[in-house]
Amino acid sequence: MKKLKFKGLKFLFFVVALFILVSIFDFENIAKIMDKTGNMLFKILPIFALVITLTALINYFLKPKKIMKYFGKDSGTKGIFYTLLGGIISHGPMYAWYPMLDDMRKHGLKFGLIATFMYARAVKIPLLPFMVGLFGLPFTVIVNVYILIFAIFQGKLIDLLIKEKEK
Amino acid sequence: MEKSNQQPTIATAFKKAIMGFLTLSPMILAVIGLVALFQTYITPDMLSKFFGHGEGLDILDGTIIGAISSGNGAISYVVADGLKQQGVSDYALIAFIMAWTTLSLTHLPAEASVFGTRFTAYRNILTFLCTLIIAYLSATTLRLFL
Repeated sequence: MKKLKFKGLKFLFFVVALFILVSIFDFENIAKIMDKTGNMLFKILPIFALVITLTALINYFLKPKKIMKYFGKDSGTKGIFYTLLGGIISHGPMYAWYPMLDDMRKHGLKFGLIATFMYARAVKIPLLPFMVGLFGLPFTVIVNVYILIFAIFQGKLIDLLIKEKEK
Repeated sequence: MEKSNQQPTIATAFKKAIMGFLTLSPMILAVIGLVALFQTYITPDMLSKFFGHGEGLDILDGTIIGAISSGNGAISYVVADGLKQQGVSDYALIAFIMAWTTLSLTHLPAEASVFGTRFTAYRNILTFLCTLIIAYLSATTLRLFL
């Protein structure tokens, strides 16, 4: 069995060190912070399960060749469309989706499409009625249309920048 | 060892997905801890004090404050609504909401460790600039229509 190579251990040690410092200098807040951490973890557990399932299904149904076809360098408009759709319907915090994106990247997912996915996530379907209620329909439509336009624009620019550097 | 051109079984696919997830688990835990720390020390009341210095500066303030804040997108709407009641401009509100949902200082180390420093730097700089532009364009378009 392949040995696990953990990523972000230094970052985790840094955060643990911050928690230790807070518990020394601001003991009153540490229980609140620990409670928040636990709550957040508990809330995103279903999203982790969804991400693991999606990653497994992508691994199972989409061979690297197909991933390249849909999301690789020649994926074109279809790739952008699927990525925007994926970004819009994906739930939970961005970091919960890193494992899936990392896995797809190893199979040929373009950096530009990762950027498009990340930006399109600013359009949050479940929150749209809430946004309309607070700020009105014109505000919601205008902001979200611009987000999608700029998600595509940003993806194209990232691809150009990374390609330029690789030359 | 499984050859790349072979169809993996569903069990292998799940095993691979779980392994991939476990590999990134220290980083995910660290981000959650850091977000909890930020949410405790940076409160919505503190944020509201930074606005009201003119449209241009408000867009910049909104973007920076949105980027250092963290939490569910719905919270950004509630905070933005509170700011709106206090007379903060649409320019600042849009910048704040956009930055809250697309930029996050607490996620930077994790993003860099997964996707590399170059991609993370490019993406975050572009996101920062796009937030400024979208805030300006959206608020200006809104003015044209209302």
